[in-house]
Amino acid sequence: MNPLAELLSERLSKGQVIDGFDTEAWAVCGRVPQAVVFPESEAQVAEVLSLSSEEGWRCVPGGKGSWLHGGQPPQSVDVLLSAERMDDISEYEPADMFIVAEAGTRLDELERRTSECGQWLALDPPGGERGTLGAMLAVGAAGPLQASFGCPRDQVLGATLVTGDGRVLALGGKVVKNVAGFDLLKLVAGSWGTLGMITSVTMRLHPTPASDRSLLFKGAEAEDGAELACRLAQTPLPLAAVELLVPGEGESGGGAPSPLVAVRILESADAADEAERVLSESAGMAPVQRLEGEQSAAIFDNVRAMEDGAELVLRLSLLPSRLPELVEMTSRLSDLYDPNEGWGMRLAAHAHTGVLRVMIAVVSRPDGWVDRAKTVLGVLRRSLEAEGGSLVVSQGPPEIVSAVSAWGELGPAALLTAGIQAAFDPAGILARGGSPQ
Amino acid sequence: MENILPEPLTKELGDRLRGVVGDSWVIVDADRLLAYESDGLTAYRRTPRAVVLPRTTDEVSRVLSILSQEGVPVVPRGAGTGLSGGALADGDAVVVGTARMTDMLALDPANRLARVQPGMINVDLTKAAEPFGLYYAPDPSSQSACTLGGNIAENSGGPHCLKYGVTSRYVTGLTVVTYDGKIVEMGGFGRESGGYDLLGVFVGSEGCFGIATEIEVRLLPKPEGVRTLLAIFDRLGDAGSAVTEIMAEGLLPAALEIIDGPTIRAVEASVFAAGFPTDAEAALVVEFDGIEAGLEADVERAVARCREAGAREVRTADSEEERLALWQGRKKAFGAMGQIASDLLVQDATVPRSQLTDVLERISEIGVRHDLTIANVFHAGDGNLHPNLLFDRSDPEEVARVERASTEIMAVCVEAGGTITGEHGVGLDKRRYMSLVHGPDELDAMRRIKAVFDPLGRMNPGKVLPDAPDSAGAAT
Repeated sequence: MNPLAELLSERLSKGQVIDGFDTEAWAVCGRVPQAVVFPESEAQVAEVLSLSSEEGWRCVPGGKGSWLHGGQPPQSVDVLLSAERMDDISEYEPADMFIVAEAGTRLDELERRTSECGQWLALDPPGGERGTLGAMLAVGAAGPLQASFGCPRDQVLGATLVTGDGRVLALGGKVVKNVAGFDLLKLVAGSWGTLGMITSVTMRLHPTPASDRSLLFKGAEAEDGAELACRLAQTPLPLAAVELLVPGEGESGGGAPSPLVAVRILESADAADEAERVLSESAGMAPVQRLEGEQSAAIFDNVRAMEDGAELVLRLSLLPSRLPELVEMTSRLSDLYDPNEGWGMRLAAHAHTGVLRVMIAVVSRPDGWVDRAKTVLGVLRRSLEAEGGSLVVSQGPPEIVSAVSAWGELGPAALLTAGIQAAFDPAGILARGGSPQ
Repeated sequence: MENILPEPLTKELGDRLRGVVGDSWVIVDADRLLAYESDGLTAYRRTPRAVVLPRTTDEVSRVLSILSQEGVPVVPRGAGTGLSGGALADGDAVVVGTARMTDMLALDPANRLARVQPGMINVDLTKAAEPFGLYYAPDPSSQSACTLGGNIAENSGGPHCLKYGVTSRYVTGLTVVTYDGKIVEMGGFGRESGGYDLLGVFVGSEGCFGIATEIEVRLLPKPEGVRTLLAIFDRLGDAGSAVTEIMAEGLLPAALEIIDGPTIRAVEASVFAAGFPTDAEAALVVEFDGIEAGLEADVERAVARCREAGAREVRTADSEEERLALWQGRKKAFGAMGQIASDLLVQDATVPRSQLTDVLERISEIGVRHDLTIANVFHAGDGNLHPNLLFDRSDPEEVARVERASTEIMAVCVEAGGTITGEHGVGLDKRRYMSLVHGPDELDAMRRIKAVFDPLGRMNPGKVLPDAPDSAGAAT
């Protein structure tokens, strides 16, 4: 064992620390950690983090490793802490519609337990159900359902966070309405592990909808699809999600990929019939397909899996009404990939929030590819920011993400962000050197 | 509480502030300052040194720069309808009010967004959005008087947040001025910013982090249909069971509100009489909204659950007029209690829904033990209780009993897995209960974040956080 792993296994037990070749599977944006630890309690997490703070070891908290390729690449990683062995559902009160589970609990396990009681966690983050609850909260991941249910920040009621220097903080509570003090939980959601390691999460649950219906509308070209998605999202109906889907060049069977607009309705069957009538009228056409129940859920499960196998994932944003422009802008990315490699470039947009995900299967690597990507993405980011929008490099080859940075500049908020990071992690062992810090 | 008159502003400081906002908008006359000596929690009274009323973000920034240069503490204030003493100016603090910042800055129906100044009244936003078929969802009971800036400070709720969520769900962007006068943009719809969720932690920070000077919020399309029903029960516990059963059905009403027997009798004895039987022990208001086609079925299921739970009468509304009549008893409850008692302490706490009936019983015992009338009005769907303690401020012995009963109620709610405030905030009043729900490490973490926004501790000082252990007795 390397000396660092040796020191760690003195504090934990031998089976809880791995080093050497075994840690490669736990690389964070290509940076292989010196040791991976599997703590079994928040006390052990606190032990590892306070030791690391004393030693100045750079740490990254993780779950099962699904999200480690995303976000801002850290300069180096000494210790990766996996929540994998902390996966108990500690408290579930169906009558109170909340569940408390350890951070390493898989989303599909949560789904299984809650569905037995006619309830669900109304979030559909990318990456499917293999991810863990803690990781979902840490990266603030949300999918099409954010149109109606919001993001993890809106559904988390409480969490236990072990700070960079090993303090154990119980944040929030178990009730939806809670204004007792400053809402530090909001800082933790989407902090990418830079404030501490989440060890336990309390989530709000919803009753399983009485019916689940998805309607698929077809557009001629990507821009038409975007206009259609906007129009449907603007109908005054309680729609659970409106998602524009454009398959990659390599999965369209030749010719220009034709876009689909998938609308999900989680209301009673009567209400869904009425919504379908209004939507068809607004679209000027009937849906090409109507999916009910499990099939409806399945089409949106596919949306969750769209990032699988992508080498580069971007998130472009503008106000929702400008989705057609946003889609049009993706033509500027044509230099970054070869449409004949893999499935090419897929698009998926949340029509209610104006977030367009761009997934590229294989990034082309001619001479100077990193500089070219830096220029293309830099120019695109600046033009989006000038219009009040943003470009996030959600995941990609570490060379590109390091060169362009995952997120844009913070401006005057940078000072506050740095102060918050230091308040939770005084030794700076969790800081990633981008934003979030 | 004793109200000590503060030192007046020096002429030089007054002149500098007048130079920014204009002569009429720096208030220093003792008579006019009286209007600012308390908020909706009238048990606390303090007269501020002065009140400054800026008009724009730039003016707020310049006012705060001047005050911070002089080391003068600042207390932000909206309409002063808060119920936790959060807008009280202690010692040498100056109030910076948003009363003149009432503009609609932008209304964007296509994106269902509005950008407003913080002094805009909550209900005025909905009025402005109505012609476009939109509305602003958070509807605190004081919505016809309270400001959106105040709603941001308190992370306000309201009856309809059972289905639609609280203020933080709807705020998408803020322009904030910190104590040193710096202007910081947070969030923004149509943009995914890096960094932490500053917007999220600012909402509900009770004026301790800065002043929100521009607010961007999401609007919702008005639901096509609304159905309201009212069920009368002979036992409070039965109403609680009806709530549990309705939720267990998988229904998600827009609102689920209960008023208890003492409240019913107060309403009926007042000018707001709503025609409730005065021997009833609970009235439950259930509201559904959404696509018209699905509503009737929901109402029928809810009516059936109410009857099974023992409702002696269930009324439904056939017109908007009748619908408002069903809400009358709930909406006018506070006003009615104001008529039967000289003073009213509106408590606020949340418990897990399944604990409601037990907790209400224990609150009732506390009332009996301290010989106090406690009338309950509550958001049953999300377990947010409002026990109202009726008393007479001129009777110090009764005031002391109210204090003791409040403390016991807080302890009972926390013990049941709940919290000390669901929507009214901590302010001045509930600092002393903070350690019931937070340990020393959590309070310390909050202090550290407060210090990031306000290193000198002069933004709304003495609010939310109890004194740090090492400064015991420093500020009170």
